[in-house]
Order: sequence, then structure tokens, then C-alpha cells
Amino acid sequence: MKVITDYIKSLFLLELMKGMSVTGRYLFKKKFTVQYPEERAPMSPRFRGLHAQRRYENGEERCIACKLCEATCPALAITIEAEPREDGSRRTTRYDIDLFKCIFCGYCQESCPVDAIVETRVYEYHFEDRESAVMTKAKLLAVGEKHEAQIAADIQAQARYR
Amino acid sequence: MGFKNAPMTTVKPVEGKENLFSPEVRAEIDSWIAKYPEQWRQSAVMAALRIVQDANGGYLTEALMDQVAAYLDMPAIAVYEVATFYSMYELKPVGRHKVCVCTNVSCMVNGSDKIVDHMEQKLGIKLGETTEDGRYTLKEVECLGACGGAPMFQIGTKYYENLTPELVDSILDGLE
Amino acid sequence: MSEDQTVTIEVDGREIQAKAGQMLIDATDAAGINIPRFCYHKKLSVSANCRMCLVEVAKVPKPLPACATPVAEGMKVQTRSPLAIAAQKGTMEFLLINHPLDCPVCDQGGECELQDVALGYGDDVSRFVEGKRVVMDKEIGPLISTDLTRCIHCTRCVRFGAEIAGVRELGATGRGEHMTIGTYIEKSVDSELSGNMIDVCPVGSLTSKPFRFRARAWELIQRDAIAPHDAVGSNLHLHVRRNEVMRVHPKENDAVNECWISDRDRFSYTALNSAERLDTPLVKTRGEWKESGWHEALTRVASGLKEAGSDLGVLASPGCTVEELHLARKLANGLGSERIETRLRQGDFRTAAGAWLGQSVTDLERCSAALLIGSNVRKEQPIFGHRLRKAALEGCDVSFINPLELEMNYAARQIVTPPAAMAGEVAAVARAAGAAGPLIDQAEVTERHQAIAERLKAAPAATLLLGNLAQAHPDYAVLLTLASALAKATGAVLGQLPAGANSVGAQLVGAVGDGLDAMLAQPAKGYLLMGVEPGYDLWDPAAANAALTQSGFVVALSGFRSESLEAVADVILPVSAFAETSGTFVNAEGTWQSFAGAVSPKGETRPAWKVLRVLGNLLDLQGFDHDSSEEVLAEARQQAEGRQLDNAPADAVTECRLVDAALTRIGDVPIYAVDALVRHAAPLQKTRDAIAAAIYINESEAAKAGLTAGMQAAVTQNGTRVILPVTIDPNIPNGCVRIPAGVAGTEQLGGQFGEVTLEKA
Repeated sequence: MKVITDYIKSLFLLELMKGMSVTGRYLFKKKFTVQYPEERAPMSPRFRGLHAQRRYENGEERCIACKLCEATCPALAITIEAEPREDGSRRTTRYDIDLFKCIFCGYCQESCPVDAIVETRVYEYHFEDRESAVMTKAKLLAVGEKHEAQIAADIQAQARYR
Repeated sequence: MGFKNAPMTTVKPVEGKENLFSPEVRAEIDSWIAKYPEQWRQSAVMAALRIVQDANGGYLTEALMDQVAAYLDMPAIAVYEVATFYSMYELKPVGRHKVCVCTNVSCMVNGSDKIVDHMEQKLGIKLGETTEDGRYTLKEVECLGACGGAPMFQIGTKYYENLTPELVDSILDGLE
Repeated sequence: MSEDQTVTIEVDGREIQAKAGQMLIDATDAAGINIPRFCYHKKLSVSANCRMCLVEVAKVPKPLPACATPVAEGMKVQTRSPLAIAAQKGTMEFLLINHPLDCPVCDQGGECELQDVALGYGDDVSRFVEGKRVVMDKEIGPLISTDLTRCIHCTRCVRFGAEIAGVRELGATGRGEHMTIGTYIEKSVDSELSGNMIDVCPVGSLTSKPFRFRARAWELIQRDAIAPHDAVGSNLHLHVRRNEVMRVHPKENDAVNECWISDRDRFSYTALNSAERLDTPLVKTRGEWKESGWHEALTRVASGLKEAGSDLGVLASPGCTVEELHLARKLANGLGSERIETRLRQGDFRTAAGAWLGQSVTDLERCSAALLIGSNVRKEQPIFGHRLRKAALEGCDVSFINPLELEMNYAARQIVTPPAAMAGEVAAVARAAGAAGPLIDQAEVTERHQAIAERLKAAPAATLLLGNLAQAHPDYAVLLTLASALAKATGAVLGQLPAGANSVGAQLVGAVGDGLDAMLAQPAKGYLLMGVEPGYDLWDPAAANAALTQSGFVVALSGFRSESLEAVADVILPVSAFAETSGTFVNAEGTWQSFAGAVSPKGETRPAWKVLRVLGNLLDLQGFDHDSSEEVLAEARQQAEGRQLDNAPADAVTECRLVDAALTRIGDVPIYAVDALVRHAAPLQKTRDAIAAAIYINESEAAKAGLTAGMQAAVTQNGTRVILPVTIDPNIPNGCVRIPAGVAGTEQLGGQFGEVTLEKA
């Protein structure tokens, strides 16, 4: 019996028709291919891209050199040095993230008591030499300044889940 | 090591400490020192501070506290500790009449707030301040142990009990 | 109940033994049962004011503080019962009411007792919604920074000041919520043990200023070391991060330093990375200093030393390790020279004696009468000073014979006399004790001499100690002879407080010779200086400079650049400083304590023992093929075997050299001038104890010379004239002027004691 049904299936190309019907269905459905870079996929506010350091509205840097991010970093990608600034406050003199080591787990952001270190939505970046893979404090702050509005909105959006 | 046998800091006796105060003040302090065993001169610190404060018009200065420390062979900081602990010692100049109003439970329940408000209005000063003419100082203190006569205040060495705004007026006006 | 009676108590269902009268917390600590605490500290008195150690005791309705509850037979204690936990949680909630939530910026974060206990007993949400208390921070000096808002009022620092440091500097002023720790008036905390307050503070209220914000506790690796500045041999923990010493803590050792260390040991690490650190070899060519490679420098040194041959003099600091001194002596001997000296600040070499403590460190606190001759023990060996203070508080009768009056932190008898009369005073005490001999028989005995002698004789454990001022005295031999006679007559133990960390070790490995005069009177052809800055580290800088300048070749092993060294040396080899090299110190009581290097040597520096070993090879000397400092140590130990030190002088010397002059210099070495490391430690140099070069003189002597405070005056000693400011100091006796040694401005002056003249500049 099975031999006969198989014979009929192959004679009338039923399998092919089945397959082509899927193709045909999707031919008329709404497309979900994104034409990167002209088009962008939607992103979660929790997206973990390039790091940034933030400042307060008055321009004061947020980071207080507590070194929790350095301690929690599983890839040992963060290096911090600190000393009292002239006004006596606790500040970093060096804050480096080695992007070759970083695994973008987001623990640094998670551990930060002052929301200073964050991972932004930026994922398009490149290096031309090994040194530039190290995000220094100045570079991090520059990224932060550029994307502050987005960062603040993202943190706001996640706030009630934390 | 318990607190009873903990070593005490020794201070080198200051030379010329015998001439620190006026003879009357010195005699009075000495009478207090004499009440304690010889090695416990320091026990007279509270009495000494009171005597010195009275002789200085009702308040203590750092210099006076240092003198008391020198006289009793104490570290100066130990005298500062005592002087800042008790509310009876004043570290700033006070008026001629220091009105110490009790605002603890019994007095509060019997309306000490009203008394305080009345006096603040009458004298135009807040608690802890002194009138411009240097006549009165208002001070909030803890229980003075006269709950039976609440609300009450103390002026000088005298207690005034069962106060009412009218009574307060007559008491304050009666003082020069 | 007698002290040694034991009782059995039951804690959490476990039976433990405790000494009768002991506090409960001591018994549970010994048994390894943890009870949370803040105000309790085993070396301080019990104040029971933090209430964190509340426990439930059977048949007592309320919880009791374990730190203030003596144990009793059959006592049943619950440390984790619902009642105890509720009490502890309640206490914790109150403590956290006013404690700021600033752990991320607090240096104590990660090693904070409050943080730890809060994790166990704190709630995650505070019910307190009112405003928190804020206390303004106080400036209390260059070593301790304050964040008083964090204070939980345990008063450990106050009790430390009163009971251990012996100076009440901090106090708790105000009451209730207004209570603050502080000095009340603007004042710095100046005790030489003040750094220990940082350790006793359970929160981040008192923290180390040089360490402030520089590292977190979890980043630090702890390594052991031995303090290099005095003969106590305090045990240290070096906290290292990324090959840098970040801070120094005490390592507990009840036989040596208990749980305290002096500020000198705690903060001297700051010099390790100072700008003056030397990190490449320097060679002088045609009067110009040039940096060079090791090979070139060592070749130059080898040829220079070869030329000097048997006419080589080695001057080594008593802070050098056993290994270094052993190799230095071996090197000199290999070249045919016997001239090596480490007693750089000794003023008299007419007799030989093995200088050591004469007893164990713990014996110091058990003595019942002590006479210190020429010693400012509190500043010279702060931990010995603390031990003696402990003895004094237990009733030990302590007396001093000194050329200047000391600021004491316990009751002691002080005989202050000009240096020339010190021998007479010791002789008088000896006579009063019944000794006889030259000088003693002529001595005039007064009541106070009688009193000292009687106490020394009657005491079951008496000790006589000669300090650094005695060793620097031009009649040290006489003082030692007299002290020895006095010790014999009274049955007291004769001891000395050696100057350097390894003074005793230097003697054991034979790094002592015939004295400085023998080294410097006739300039040698070549000199090897180890850790010595001629202007600061020698008894007579003027004589040393003269000899070194005239010498043909001077090589210095130094950790620091120094003008005084560059003026006389031909080659300076950079050697590793404290913490960078392994080695061994023998402390005053004769304990050998070895340590390993904690960080790698800075720049091009090399451990001195390696440098000496290579020099030995370059000079083709036998027996310089050690592969590790342990091998050198083994060799040195073997040689030291059987060598016994005896404080009694070999020959009795009774002829005084120091005669009464119109004005005699007292050249003590201030606490923060003892060696190059300390002199370069910036925070220590900002303290009140970092005494500047000046003319300290009493009012009447100043008036005689027509001088007033603050004015500049010229001092002339042995023909050298130096201008220094005048300071009036009532602690200096008549006929004397104190001009400290080892500080900038005194490099050109003569011996630490001697005749000087003063005039207006």
C-alpha cells in the first residue's frame, strides 16, 4: 500500500507543490529582511554595545572610582587607578576598558552604584590599531556625551525592572 | 582590662598653675578637690567648671577650660568633653538671666509649647538665642525633675512651676 | 577567685573552658565562636557602648553585652537565640540610622566591620526616614584623614589615645546625637603611634591619608615583612597592588609588636616611589654625573676596589640586612681589609661590647624598675617605649638620665643634665647603690640618686638601658662602664637599645670593626658605602666628608639620589630599598626574622646582596657563588653560630673626654631622620615630629648669646659655620644647645655631641 501512495506522490510532484506553496505564501507576505545599513533592526533598551561614561547634568563626571566594575568584570577588561582630586573628591585618574577582553556581559553597568559606566546601543565601531581597542576615560566620556539622551532614556525604560 | 583599671593619660603638671585663678576661685576649687582622694583630683572637674563659669559671667571660654585642665592635671580634651556634654555649661556668652525651659514629656503634655511660643514672641528671640540687650537667654533643656509642677522653667538657681503666659510675663518683668 | 582558675560555661550548647573573671567575649573568641562587636578591642579597655555583642544568658531577663560580662561557672549562653538575634538586629538598625550609605567612596569598603556585620544583621530597607546626621570633617594632620559622618561612636580611637599612645588627643565632645569625635580645638594628632587609630577604627571614619582613594581592599595582596627602621623588628603586612606597595599594616606578633606599629614603620613606604629614588647606576666622569649601564658601572667599581685593595673601608648602615653585611664583610676580607663599620652614630669606641637588649622584648613590660641612660625611647624605638609605658602603668619605677627633658606619656623621674655631667649622674646612682671605683667614689649622691638606686635594688626585675643618645655620647665607654658597675651592684639587667634595625645582626656577622675614628681619621684609598648618606647618617659628617673627599675611590650603594652622596662618591649603584629585597634582620632581643621581597625592584635597581655577589665575582674572590639570599643567610648563620653578645664592656674606661664647655651641642637624631627611606617619606616629613634643623636653646642661654626666637644665628663647630634659626625650648638644660643631626642644614656640622659657639648672624 505504501508503495502505491509513494508512487502517486512522486508522480504528481506533491512534495514540490507543498514546498512551492510556502514560497508562494511568503512571496506576498510583508518582508522582514532589513536593508542594513539603510535600514536598522529594532533594538532593546537593554542592548549591550560600546561602553560609555556618563556625566551629571552639571557636567560633573559620575564615576567615583569605587572599582566595583573592575572587581566584577569576569574578563578582567577594566583597569582603574584613583586618587583624591584637588577638591578632595574621589576620582579616577585612569579608567581603561580593553575591548579585546570585554565580553559585553554588562556586569559593569549592573554593579555601578551611580550609573556611570553604561553600555550604549552603539555597535558600529572599528579599530585600526591595537591601542585604540582600549577605551580610555576620555574616549568613554566622549561616547557618553554624544549619546547621553539615548542612554538616559534607556535607563529610564529599564528602571522599573531593576 | 575593664574600664576601672584602664590606664589614665598622665599630664605633666603645668608650671605656675597655682596662680591661674583668683584666690577666691582657687579656694573654692580646692575645697572641691579636697573632697576626693588625692590621686583623683580630676573628679573636681565639674565643680571647677561651674565655679569658673560663674566667675566669668555665666559662660566658659577655651582659655578657661584649658586653665581648669592645667589646674587639675588633666588633658584639655577631657575637660572639653565634660563641658560640651552637660547643658549647664555655656560655651558662648549668655544673657543676665538664663531661662531654661523644660520641654520634656510632662511639661509638654501640660503645655510647655505654649509657654515657649509666648516667650519667643515676648522676647523676640528663638530658643538658644539671647536678647539684644543681653538681658535674657532662652534655652531648651531636658527634664529638670519638677514634673509635679509642670510646665516649668529655671532661672538662675530658682525653679518656677505651674507656668501660665501671664505668670511668665510677671516673672520675666520682675527681673531686672 | 584566683586568676588561673578555670570555669566551664556552655555557649550555644557547647561546653567551653574559660578563665575565671575573663569576659565572655574573650572566652568565645578563644573557642572560635563569633560574636559581632564594634567597641570591643582585646588590647583596649572595655567600654560596652556599642551594644552589638548582646547575647542571651540563661536566667537573666535581658540580653547582656558579652564584652562586659564576666564568665561564671555553669553559665549558659545563647549567641544565636531569637532574643540575642533580635537584640543584635535592633542595635544594628540604630547604628545604621546615621551611617551614610557611601560605601562606594569609602576607603574602608570591603574591609569594614560595619559592612560585614550589616550583611549578617542589617535589614535591607531602613525604617528611618528623617534626615541623617552630618558631621564636618576635621583636619588632624598629614597621616590620618577623617570622615566623621561615618563614625559609630565606638570610642576605640579615644581609648587607644588614652591607653596605648598615652596622649589624649581625640575625644568625644557633645552628647547624644551631637556627639562627635575630634580634638575640639584645631589641632593635629601627633602621637608616634597615631596610625594605629586607623586600624582600630571599625568603620571608615579614620583612614590613612597617604593611601586615600588609591586602592580597594580586595585588590591588595598581603605580604609579610619586617620593619627596617628600628631594632624592634616589628612584623608588618605589606599590601601590594600591581607591583607597588600601597600601604603597610601591622602583623600581629605578641612577642614583638603586639598588634601595633609605629607611624615610622607604617608610612615610610611612601618613599619607595619618591622622585629622589635612584633607578640607574650613576658614574662620575670628569666631575660630571652620567647615567650608565650596570656593566660599565660595575667594571669601574671593580677596578676602583682592586686599586684600593687592603686599604678599603666599608661603612654600612645598621639598617642593612644580615645577607648584605655578611657579603660586604666577606668582600672587604677578600681584598685584605678588616675595616668595616656599622655603628655609624656611636661617639666613642674606647671599649668593645656587644650591644643588645639584654632581655626579651616582653621582659621590658614585666620589669619593675628601669633606668634609661641617654634614651628618648618613645621616639627612638616607639614600640619599646610602649612596652615600658605598659610596665610603668603596672607600677614599674622608670627613671631617665638625659641631656634634655623629654615629653613623657607616663609618670617617670627625669634627671636632666648637660652631656658632660651625665657620667657623674650615673656614677652617683652607682655610688648610692654601693658600687665602688674611679669616678663612682667622687660622685656626689643626692636624694634622687638614692631613690633610683634603692628602687633598682629592691625591684625583682630591674633593667638598665642605654639608648641612642648614650651611644652617640663621646664618653659612651664611660657611661657603659658605670652602667655595668651599677647593674652589678643592683642586680639589674644591663641592656642597650640598638640604633638600627639590624645593629645586633651586624655584630653577629662581624660587620663591626675598630670604630669610626679608625675608618675616617686616616682616609682610606677606597670606600664602600652601603645605605649611607655621609651628611646625615654619620656621627661626624664633617670628618666623614673630609675623609671621603680625600679618598681615591668611593662607591656607594644607595636607594636614593642625594647631594651629600654625589659630592663625595665616584660611582653610585642603585640598590633595592625596603620591600623590594629579601633579607634578614636580627632585632634587639636577638631574634632572626627573615622576609622575602614583596615587589620587584624599581627600575634598574638590584638587591644589594646580588650587587655584592657580582662584585665578588668581578674581583675574582673565592666563595661568591650564592644563588639565593637563603644561601647567603645560611653561610652567615653558620659564621654567627656560637657568637654571644654581652653588654658588659671589655675594658673599664673612666676617663671623660667631653669637658664642660660654655656651650655643648646635643645632636639627637629626630624620629623621622633616622634613615634615607624615612627622610624621603613625604607624609612623615609633614608631621610635627619631623623636626627641622634649628638651634633649640633655653631662654636664659639665648639671652646670654643675645638671641631671640625666630632669629637666624651662626653655629660654629670645629671651625665649620652654619646659619640656623633659633627656637626657644625650655627642655634644654643650661650650657647646652640642641641641634638635631640627620636633618637638612646640619650636613656640614661636626659630631653629634661637642663644643659649639653661637653668634648673631
